[in-house]
Amino acid sequence: MVGFFVKRFIGLIFVLLGVTFITFVLGINAPGDPIKNLLGIHYTYDAWVRLRHIYHLDLPWYQQYFNYIVQLLRFNFGDSYYYQETPVIDVIRPGIPVSAELGLWGLLITFLVGIPVGILSALKANTWVDTSAMSISLVLYSLPSFVLAVFFQVIVVQLDKLTKGTWPVSQWGNVWQYTPTDLTHKIGPILVFAAVGFAFIARLTRTTMLEVLRQDYVRTARAKGLKERTVNYRHAFRNAMIPLVTVFGTSLATLVGGVFFIEFVFNIPGIGRIAIDSIGNRDYTVIQATGVIFAIAVVLGNLVADLLYSVVDPRIKVE
Amino acid sequence: MDTKDTDTNAASSFISPEPVRGADLASLPTNFDEQGRTATGVGLATPLVAEPPLAAKKEKITTPFQDSLNRLRRDKRAMVSLTIIALFVIIPIIGPFIYQHVGGQLIDGLSGKPIGPATYHSPFLQRLDHQDEDPSLTNWLGTDSIGRDTLARLMQGMLISLFVALAVEVVNVVLGIVIGVSAGFFGGWIDQFLARFTDIMFAFPGLLFVILVAGIFGPSLDGPLSKVPVLGANGNARLLIVSVALAFVGWPLMARFVRGQTLQLKEQQFVEAARTSGTSNTRIISRHIIPNLFNIVVVAATLDIANTVIGEAGLSFLGLGVTTPGSSIGLMINDAQNLTEVHPIEVLIPALTLTIIVLAFSFLGDGLRDAFDPRAKD
Repeated sequence: MVGFFVKRFIGLIFVLLGVTFITFVLGINAPGDPIKNLLGIHYTYDAWVRLRHIYHLDLPWYQQYFNYIVQLLRFNFGDSYYYQETPVIDVIRPGIPVSAELGLWGLLITFLVGIPVGILSALKANTWVDTSAMSISLVLYSLPSFVLAVFFQVIVVQLDKLTKGTWPVSQWGNVWQYTPTDLTHKIGPILVFAAVGFAFIARLTRTTMLEVLRQDYVRTARAKGLKERTVNYRHAFRNAMIPLVTVFGTSLATLVGGVFFIEFVFNIPGIGRIAIDSIGNRDYTVIQATGVIFAIAVVLGNLVADLLYSVVDPRIKVE
Repeated sequence: MDTKDTDTNAASSFISPEPVRGADLASLPTNFDEQGRTATGVGLATPLVAEPPLAAKKEKITTPFQDSLNRLRRDKRAMVSLTIIALFVIIPIIGPFIYQHVGGQLIDGLSGKPIGPATYHSPFLQRLDHQDEDPSLTNWLGTDSIGRDTLARLMQGMLISLFVALAVEVVNVVLGIVIGVSAGFFGGWIDQFLARFTDIMFAFPGLLFVILVAGIFGPSLDGPLSKVPVLGANGNARLLIVSVALAFVGWPLMARFVRGQTLQLKEQQFVEAARTSGTSNTRIISRHIIPNLFNIVVVAATLDIANTVIGEAGLSFLGLGVTTPGSSIGLMINDAQNLTEVHPIEVLIPALTLTIIVLAFSFLGDGLRDAFDPRAKD
């Protein structure tokens, strides 16, 4: 058990180093000279050399990388190029609760709808319920989130024209508040965000559930004369959940990736939107920071999923 | 990414049991029991474990490859997808030439000069007196918000998708096979490298890595890259960065599939036999391993094309890929995105096109997998 955790932890550190190294390389190779940018019209060669030294930009790359990691550990992502003398973290900070809210509700709906639909599909395998549920989720799953979002907007806007209402298809409203106005803003993006994940989870639940239903112990449970309900939920469902735990980590990555597009389409001021705006502003330190934040979130999500998996399924430790 | 793959694999074989439904059960793997425990016909797709031919079977003997093609031909969804993909290849290549010769001369409202279809059916001409028009005989799919012909721009955008998909897939397949086979066959440091590199690349969710690369290097490379002949002109400069980044993200997955398959093949008896008779490693790889990778590479590449097309469209949608005056499906969606209320057709045309292309590749990929490896399930 301990050996497994140690091994997993070493792997984690390696991946984190790799991820930070890639963003570091992207950062130092970003066009433009931060010192020149900082000096602006006060640029002289002497001042440039002095400031370069003060900011440690004249050090060899491995020392710079080391400094970069040390700063990351303190949540210091450097200063923004675009908003002068504003730390990057202050540029990103207002977006964090917005993205978190979107992600949290999205994930919640994903699992709360996806798992039951998957189970239903598996129990009614190859009936019309199954076929239609799976066809819908296949289409939802294949399509990119921004196309889904655009379709959603078109439908809402056109329906809205008929009812002469004003259902908004952009902006977010107040964070963590659910007045009717806030809700009208939030429901759309959350539904689109959840739709992609729902399809994935439903299909996966169905597969694992079907696999479990074929196992001998399920047949034994049936043979004992247990109620269908007990067999399905006590014996089959619990075991079918095991693979879902691991998938939680990986699906996190896919879902988080969709945040960029959904925030862009719906004009939601979350981290993804801030990152896209920074690209327009050529605010490289902010872009770099969002990259690191998202990547680290995914790595940690995977780690949690792996650890959970080893708790749920004791066999994994042997390998 | 690999979860997407296992998922489509497993679920598709349930959703579309065409191979089972359409054929006489005796001649096909039954496809239901993943352990292959059902008695008849399990080994037919792989002659290595072939059982004695059934007495009832009098048909002429087919190779496993022909079997696969037959299964694919019976898969209606895959065949429809294949037709759509053929159109997707043909339309953007020859479509513009035809379109630019159809239609008579007309008088340009602003300059008062007569212009032919070669001019007003070009994806770049802005006719500011013909903005946001509905489909008509002059502009078959209407015009966009600055009076450019939508069909012409759509075909140009499809050409871009096609180009990126091809370029990225060639790189993916070549790198994937070279590194995947080396990792699987020789193991050692190259295997370690592949494993670690894949771990790192998978940490970047979705298109994040491509967004980072295109976002950081795109704006400043616009100038130099736009001087690249043919490819760089007309706002397509950043397409090169996007393609490189997409390939960089894509190949590890392909290499991982190839590595897994190579590991399996390496243990097979025919490789053992070849080695016993003194065949060199190079020859084993080129004659025994690589030809057997065909199936898995074709399936993975088809599914990956869908991702690549989405990637290019997504990046252009965010304003990081093709820029105006160039045309891309993603850029068209972005251009029309705030017209959903008054001119929904302008956003629906590119969005539906993208939907159809992506679904076609996904369905074909699923169909290919079912056809080539009916027992594959996770």
